[in-house]
Amino acid sequence: MSDKPARAVKLNVLNEPKDSYTGGPSSLCPGCGHDQISSVIINAAWENGIQPHRIAKMSGIGCSSKTPAYYLGQSHGFNTVHGRMPSVTTGAYAINKDLLYLGVSGDGDSASIGIGQLIHAIRRNIDMVYIVENNGVYGLTKGQYSATADVGSKKKKGTVNETQPIDLCALAINLGCTFVARSFSGSKKQLGSLIKAAMSHKGFALIDVISPCVTFNNNDESMRSYGYVKENEITLHMADYIPHFNPVEEVDVPEGHFRDITLHDGSTIRLETISEQHDPSSPMAALSALHDAEVNAKHVTGLLYFDASKPSLAEDLGLVDTPLLDVPDELLRPSQASLDALNAEFLA
Amino acid sequence: MDKIINDFTINIATANGTGSQSANLILLQSLFEMGVPVSGKNLFPSNISGLPTWYIVRLSDLGYQAPGDRTHIQILVNPATWDEDLAAAEPGTVIIWNSDTKKKTVEREDIISYPVPMSSLARKINPKIAKLVTNIVYVGVLAELLNIDQTCLESAVARQFKGKESAIELNITALGLGRDYFKENLTKTDPYTTESREVDHPQFFIEGNEAAALGAHYGGVQLLAWYPITPSSSMAESIIAYIPRLRSNDEGEATCAVIQAEDELAAAGMVLGAGWAGGRGMTATSGPGLSLMQEFIGLAYFAEVPSVFWDVTRVGPSTGLPTRTQQSDIAMLYEGSHGDTQHIVLIPGTVEECFEYGWRAFDYSERFQTPVFGMSDLDLGMNRWACEGFTYPDTPMDRGKVVREREAFEAFETFGRYLDVDGDGIPYRTLPGSGMAPILYRGTGHNPMGVYSEKPEDYFNLMARLKMKIDGARDVLPAPLLREEEECEVGIIFLGSMENSIQEIDDILEQTGMKVSQCRIRALPLHSEVENFIRRHETVIVLEINRDGQLYGILRRELPNDLVTKVYSVAYSDGMPPRARIYAELIHEKLKEVSQ
Repeated sequence: MSDKPARAVKLNVLNEPKDSYTGGPSSLCPGCGHDQISSVIINAAWENGIQPHRIAKMSGIGCSSKTPAYYLGQSHGFNTVHGRMPSVTTGAYAINKDLLYLGVSGDGDSASIGIGQLIHAIRRNIDMVYIVENNGVYGLTKGQYSATADVGSKKKKGTVNETQPIDLCALAINLGCTFVARSFSGSKKQLGSLIKAAMSHKGFALIDVISPCVTFNNNDESMRSYGYVKENEITLHMADYIPHFNPVEEVDVPEGHFRDITLHDGSTIRLETISEQHDPSSPMAALSALHDAEVNAKHVTGLLYFDASKPSLAEDLGLVDTPLLDVPDELLRPSQASLDALNAEFLA
Repeated sequence: MDKIINDFTINIATANGTGSQSANLILLQSLFEMGVPVSGKNLFPSNISGLPTWYIVRLSDLGYQAPGDRTHIQILVNPATWDEDLAAAEPGTVIIWNSDTKKKTVEREDIISYPVPMSSLARKINPKIAKLVTNIVYVGVLAELLNIDQTCLESAVARQFKGKESAIELNITALGLGRDYFKENLTKTDPYTTESREVDHPQFFIEGNEAAALGAHYGGVQLLAWYPITPSSSMAESIIAYIPRLRSNDEGEATCAVIQAEDELAAAGMVLGAGWAGGRGMTATSGPGLSLMQEFIGLAYFAEVPSVFWDVTRVGPSTGLPTRTQQSDIAMLYEGSHGDTQHIVLIPGTVEECFEYGWRAFDYSERFQTPVFGMSDLDLGMNRWACEGFTYPDTPMDRGKVVREREAFEAFETFGRYLDVDGDGIPYRTLPGSGMAPILYRGTGHNPMGVYSEKPEDYFNLMARLKMKIDGARDVLPAPLLREEEECEVGIIFLGSMENSIQEIDDILEQTGMKVSQCRIRALPLHSEVENFIRRHETVIVLEINRDGQLYGILRRELPNDLVTKVYSVAYSDGMPPRARIYAELIHEKLKEVSQ
């Protein structure tokens, strides 16, 4: 027994301690940015005062998609198949629209195998938070490029990536996604605010979170390595590197500003947050900001686009108010009289 | 000349998209209303307009519903297949042909020829829609030729056009023109005619797809997620069509959601999502769609997620013959997805069973917490079949072992999602949102508590339990339908739409003196009665509409060794609905081979 007096445990509006929102221990590489995102999710759900069991954790396949085991242990979840989490979420949502669907995906999941499902989930405007833990690489299969890898990147094993990357935020804005944001795994404050806002959003909320791979982007030719950043001193928004013995410091960049972050080995990265003058209701302004960042080899973070006016899928389905899950069996099965009437009409 | 009454086949050769389908259905319906046992097979192309279509109408007082061995009356309207169809006509065939067809004529001495200027007659009514009206003219000619009752004809027209007065009037006029032309210009020299029959039980015509769709509603389907594919689309469309009537409140708000998915993978994912959330989700597809769904099917089996898939099969592999029929997917349905799997498959052979399995599929799926497949086919699904009416479900909805109340949950000493509490291999589940025993469902290995595990004993035990669970379904699922002879000589095991040809096959075989028993399998895994049937019979034939004998393969693997040696495969498929004589001859040959 400790001699120290027990500290009062902080509680949220539901009188729940943060422990009620945690999950199992992570099995990702030590220092992985994804674990930081998990801790932000825990914090956001706790701070938002959401009943943990009313959240449904959804994921596909990959490093990112393993993370639902590491947060919100009181929530049901579904670790589905590669790239197909949006459809499973859509089906669950049709049955129980009252849950908060929190999807976590990776760039392999979302920008390659599952890009069609992502596009159609956006198109349907299903009520869900969709976090992409974007590292430009296939981690679980040991370091192949994903469709978000930058042109010119060279990975540990060899070839230079010559293929244009897909910008998921630009794609989402073009599709009319109703909430589009970009953040960084180390920007706990910004990411926390975005996730909290996304949880309150009615409609599809995409948050593309740059979360570089600590294991497979660590060679000098990689545009995300220390070496690259050190030598070139380019303000690469994605140039984060998190050594496992040195967790990344928290990064809080005011709107319209950038900040250089010094990492343990002396290298620096620069993060830039979108200006408060940015009008998130304008898709053109958002696309322009993304374009400017691309041209200047930077990545812009923050809430890029937001539209609360579009109906979500629940409204389009034309269902009864009660979630279908709670409609009693007697109401689901049409009556004997209705079948008798049908039989009689067919025979007439 | 002796009359041939209610026992012949009419083949109507037209082009797709010319409105011939309406005319053909009027012919079929009018015969049906006369009480003549009749069946119609639509052989249509994968095309919207222009390609050849044949419609086969079989009249048979014996109730035979297969297309028949030969054509007795051939209608020639389509110049594209004219020569081929004419050449195929056996001597004595009646040829009714559109004499306005350019560069086409009928010059054969060995057939009975009735030239009719169908296009000119049609133009008299309305030149703008002459092509459409041409079709109804040949129905009028047939009506006169075959003595089809005018009241039944008019009633069929009214049914086809659902009270649209102008369409009804136009069609009745066109029928009259056809009738009058025959009466005034031609002399009947053929033996074919029809007679009304008393019907014991009133019946109506309905397609298998519509029947299964209605069944799904009486099973309380809550989500239809689908992607259009022939020949299943009309099942999904029927489900949608009945929602306002059967599933909506006064405000028009529904208790059944419909999502047209971006592809079949997404449709399957949505069905799994619905099952995971505690609802009744289904999709309707065909072979190519089912191929795409394989990964999700494995997940549903392994993570034990209720989900219902209807496969209205068509000719494979690949795009195959997309508008032709085949029992193509028996093996894929039973063993779908990679790794060791085994699925429940319901196999209706009649429209009544399409309805019944439409609702039962959900009960089985929730009871056994596993994907359940309905296997219909193009023939059963898209053609019209006689039905005496649908029977209301005799049991309440079986939602399976779902723990919804906290009190019930707390009665468990230990709650594990995959813990076999009752020894039947079926675990208990809680639902998302309930806060009770939450787990992360996964397609990776897991232990009885639902936690990730790669331990050898966890994997082995899980797979053994799943096997036991599905084995437990065998005698719960619909039992085979047996029609046995006392002699127990030859037993034929078959399934699905072969139901509509089997009696004719049986009769052809029995003409040779052998005694034939029938066993129609209505579900997989196999019911124990199937084994007993085989045990009782000297020789057993497994009859299927495919090349490789897929059902035979399943039987061979699952039967005790001593029974395997007396079971033989007869499998044949050419895309056509099964013609009795072809299968009867193949069985005959096989039996000869066996006895040598």
